[in-house]
Amino acid sequence: MAQLEITDVSKVFPGGTVAVDRFSLKVADGELVCLLGPSGSGKSTLLRMVGGFERPSSGVIAIDGEDVTRVPPERRPTGMVFQSHALWSHMNVFRNLAFGLKLRRLPKDEIRRRVEAVLELVGLAGYGARQTNQLSGGQQQRVALARSLVLEPKILLLDEPFASLDQHLRERLREEVRDIQQRLKITTLFVTHGQDEALALADRIVVMRDGRTEQVGSPDMVYREPATPFVAGFIGTMNLVEGRVAGGRFERGGFGVPVPVADGPVTIAVRPEALGIAPSDGAASHVHRVTDYGTHAIVDIELADGTRVKAMVREARDWRAGQGVALKPEAFAAYRDDAVVHRG
Amino acid sequence: MSLAPASGIVGTSEKRGRPIGLLLVAAPVLLIGWMVIYPIIDAVVTTVWLPDESGKYGLTLRTYRFFFSDQYSLDNLYLTLWTTVVCSILLLAICLPIALYLRFASGRLATYVQGLAIFPLFVPSIVLSYALIRVLGPNGMVDMLLNAVHLPKLRSPYLTPWAPVIGLVWDHIPLVVLILTAGLGGVSNQSVEAARDVGAGRLAVFRFIILPRLTNPILVALSFSVLGIFSAFTIPYVLGPAAPEMMGPFMQRTFRDLYDPVNAITQAVISFFFCIVFGLFYVRSVIRNRQA
Repeated sequence: MAQLEITDVSKVFPGGTVAVDRFSLKVADGELVCLLGPSGSGKSTLLRMVGGFERPSSGVIAIDGEDVTRVPPERRPTGMVFQSHALWSHMNVFRNLAFGLKLRRLPKDEIRRRVEAVLELVGLAGYGARQTNQLSGGQQQRVALARSLVLEPKILLLDEPFASLDQHLRERLREEVRDIQQRLKITTLFVTHGQDEALALADRIVVMRDGRTEQVGSPDMVYREPATPFVAGFIGTMNLVEGRVAGGRFERGGFGVPVPVADGPVTIAVRPEALGIAPSDGAASHVHRVTDYGTHAIVDIELADGTRVKAMVREARDWRAGQGVALKPEAFAAYRDDAVVHRG
Repeated sequence: MSLAPASGIVGTSEKRGRPIGLLLVAAPVLLIGWMVIYPIIDAVVTTVWLPDESGKYGLTLRTYRFFFSDQYSLDNLYLTLWTTVVCSILLLAICLPIALYLRFASGRLATYVQGLAIFPLFVPSIVLSYALIRVLGPNGMVDMLLNAVHLPKLRSPYLTPWAPVIGLVWDHIPLVVLILTAGLGGVSNQSVEAARDVGAGRLAVFRFIILPRLTNPILVALSFSVLGIFSAFTIPYVLGPAAPEMMGPFMQRTFRDLYDPVNAITQAVISFFFCIVFGLFYVRSVIRNRQA
């Protein structure tokens, strides 16, 4: 049970590359926060700084109020799960898990008890004698998680732990990780570039871009009310239509919405599920393609000026290529200078 | 229309490729047989199939009995073994830190260190030997430097058993560093970081994570260098003492100065069997690696 506080942390690599730029975040006791962003956004560097593997160029990292900025990883109360599992292939599962406990000079009985308990927790009871190369990818990742959990760290750090697993296994494991995290109530920082992973797991999401925070909020808030066009485009599928507002109305290629702001350029963001469409023979926009996903269908619509937008519909069979459509956004946001100026 | 089973097709292409593969390896195999296997057999036969006093040829071990009863021969063998062991220990002590540094350091200094460590590879043994005489020999560079600062001369290792040790260690540094660095390449950064994450300090990381993964490369590096050191000629010949001497110069002197080819070949066969013992370590490592 611990709090993590990151204050104005920056990391500048030799050569001048700024990986993390004055980043601040408070993670509450037992909270699971996802650092989400594209490659090169600084999320892994930030996690490595929390784990002690990189030293910040400036700023403070504190755990339960204690400054750990310059504490080496072996003395930090953190446990990290690496993307590549990083299991020690010359040790079996039991020895992988017992290694940290042995370094702490715990009695043998205590080590055995704790290793068996954590193996039970991750669903690998009885796997202690197995060699790590005899395990599947998912089992290896569970061992990696168990290796961190067995030391009862104050902060659990997960660096894209499911990146090397297939989609099905990834979904199953993330549910298991969430269950374990909630059962242990362990403060967790989770790095991912998968938006679905972040939306499914996190109490809060931190969207990062170029080493900075783009938006912090609950998954629902980040999804429904993205603070910037970048977040809007990065989380989920979003139609971003650039154009100008004139006289309180945005108009482009037959797609128009009222935007009561001063005249000038704006970007309209509307989710496919919030873009209502209706057949209209004389409309300037027409259906370009219909893709059936079984549970729903996506209709690609070409506006009069060639711009493409997507709309989500229930039935694919109601729509055909070339059919004229009228667009009616049910919810949208207008952005100007990287900030929301209007929500409709 | 019927289709041939896939396994049949694979089998056919395998069968077709087999003679080509055998032809490709035939030349080197024949060469090894001619240049290595035949001389070995010939040498062993030459030393055990000898004429007696009456001139009649028969099976005898007298040249081996002579070698193992002759104190001078034994002294030479002991010196060779001593040099090999001391060189191996020194090579490990010098090369392991260099390899560790090269594996985990980055930047310009690491590039220079790598260049320096590999440099001896490009220096012929004879050049190295004379360079060491100019540096460590009487009135060499070390003596001149000491003299320049009014310090007394040090006892030169030249013509003592330590001179070949210095030369052989210097000569074998690149090989050992290259093999150890390649072996360390198999230790991922994340496995080291994972160890540090669970509380291992640098020493514990080395002892419990790196060293167990380095056992095979160490065995391979030492096997190679031991083979080279045990059968070394140029460096011990130029830098080493006249007596006792290492097996390489001993063989040459027995053959050329004493005109005694049978005893020279006996020394070669004995050296060869010692090298085979060290070579077995290498073979064992290769087999273990393949099994892993």
